[in-house]
Amino acid sequence: MKGERLRRMVDLHAWVGMVSGLALFVAFFAGAINVFHHELHHWQEAHYGEPASVPMGMDGLLEQVTGQYPDARKRLYLLPDAEDPGVMWFESSEGDWVTAHATDFNAEGVREDVPRSALADFINELHFALGIPNPGWPINIGMTFMGLISVMYGVALFSGLLIHWPKIRKEFFALKHEGNMRRYWKNLHNVIGIISFPFHLIMSVTGAAMGMFTVVAVLLGALVFGPQLRGVITEETEVWPAVDSQGDTVTMPLMEDVLSAARNELPDLTVDWLEIRGYGDAAGWIDVAGSVPGYLGHHAHVVLDPTLGPLRVIAPEQRSFNFASLSPVYSLHFGDYGGLLVKLLYFALGLLGSLLFVSGNILWCERRSDRTGPGRSSAFLLRLTLGVCAGVVIGIAFSFLASKLLPHTPLAGLVAVAERGVFAVILVLLVAWSLRASPLRFSSQMLRMAPFCYLAIPLLQTVLEGSHAWLEADNRLVNLLLLAVAACLWVVRRQFRKRIRQAEPHPLWVGKVSGDNPKHLTETEREAGTVASDSAS
Amino acid sequence: MRYALGTVLSLPLSLMLIGLLAAALPMPWQEWLVLQLVAAVLLWMLLVLLVALPAKAKPILVALGVANLAAWLALQATPLYGVGA
Repeated sequence: MKGERLRRMVDLHAWVGMVSGLALFVAFFAGAINVFHHELHHWQEAHYGEPASVPMGMDGLLEQVTGQYPDARKRLYLLPDAEDPGVMWFESSEGDWVTAHATDFNAEGVREDVPRSALADFINELHFALGIPNPGWPINIGMTFMGLISVMYGVALFSGLLIHWPKIRKEFFALKHEGNMRRYWKNLHNVIGIISFPFHLIMSVTGAAMGMFTVVAVLLGALVFGPQLRGVITEETEVWPAVDSQGDTVTMPLMEDVLSAARNELPDLTVDWLEIRGYGDAAGWIDVAGSVPGYLGHHAHVVLDPTLGPLRVIAPEQRSFNFASLSPVYSLHFGDYGGLLVKLLYFALGLLGSLLFVSGNILWCERRSDRTGPGRSSAFLLRLTLGVCAGVVIGIAFSFLASKLLPHTPLAGLVAVAERGVFAVILVLLVAWSLRASPLRFSSQMLRMAPFCYLAIPLLQTVLEGSHAWLEADNRLVNLLLLAVAACLWVVRRQFRKRIRQAEPHPLWVGKVSGDNPKHLTETEREAGTVASDSAS
Repeated sequence: MRYALGTVLSLPLSLMLIGLLAAALPMPWQEWLVLQLVAAVLLWMLLVLLVALPAKAKPILVALGVANLAAWLALQATPLYGVGA
């Protein structure tokens, strides 16, 4: 690639990287934890010792919910759990989805307002929508915004590949502790980018496809296929048509029988949830949704009528091309196709991705400062980057701490609000602090504090819940992951300190971007300057 | 500005190009909708990349606008719009 064209490609890479970098940091850091979303759902449940009474089973729960909430009869999701099954339905009076667990009902069958943590859902929302709430609009603003960010991210990846392809082998081994701080960040950025390029390509394309779905579908309908596209999308992606009730009632089968009938159709099925449409209606149906292990596109559905007659089976090798294409989009994004090992790989690559975006933003700020001389915009962006990154990392840790601590205090009812509130407060405070403090000192302080925040979470759970924190498999896994995050932050801190000791930081880092400390030269410019002064003398 | 405009203009073009592909291929477009969505997103990314290649911004942005118009006109010659499942 010619020099001028390469420079424009670097500009594009920097532009899209800068536009999307901070949002991607949030998405990747929260996403790395969100890989273990189901485990986190178990982890967040407060443990007060052995339960006094055995909660009702799936059938009892369905009976209570559909009896008390007519909306649930139209459409509900059953989350099977041996200890505490749950039901989700859309409550029109509240205009929102409602979740009820078996343990929410007392002995008389009355649903009580049991305070529950919503940490896993909050982390998930941070990941796919930056925590931007959806007020029930036809388009999810946060999710669409992240879809657009994913497109920017894809452009940054392709431009980065074009920039680095000619020297890819050389750069692969270039993470040396020599030269200046900027060279170190650049090498770190390049090495992470090269190692994890396939992972990032998957994330950008699948993230953009999911996030931009509404916008793309609307435009595709307006420009290409016309208004009938909506009906086609529904027809091609729904497992069975909506219930056409004739008013005939039916006694619902026991859920154990439903699961058994589904396994009869698909012996390898691992059940994740059940969708029941038209509960108690003869025209209703039950979709037993889950996975068939051993496939990349592992999602499967067995649709049954209320008499347990099979209506449709959607499984690997038994599905339409659209279902066969959709399933890998989800599984490649969520990393749930290869067991624990693949999930751990996604977790590690997610954390590395966060580092990629921080280093990219820092590089951009330093490069801009080098090119244009001292300026407030570069200093502001560097400080904002450090503030947002520290705010997100430490804010999430405090959300975890609030999630564990509050259920054991009189403020238990506020736990779900506190998880979000404490995150927002810490994020705002740290961003405000970062804009005032010296970036170098701020980073040192944050990196000193952050590992201890993550170390404190398993310790707190152990203090509050005793051996339950480690004996229960999902708790143990989440706690080990949190310790791994603490260890990673400790390594980043150590490397950061090492760099400070070994090389003079860029003036942006010490707040020296002023008239007294003008333009900071790059190595190439320094060399050029040396040559010029030599020739002049 | 160049990249922002390129991003906006590339989205409808990528969708219409995928639509033209759907019209050209001898299989019902309804059967591979998900793949069209993924391909459109990938094409969108590559078109934004293309905006960075020329030295001057104006010609490539004009070219994108013209390409959008040409793709839209070409789509009118296909039986796609309004043809149901």
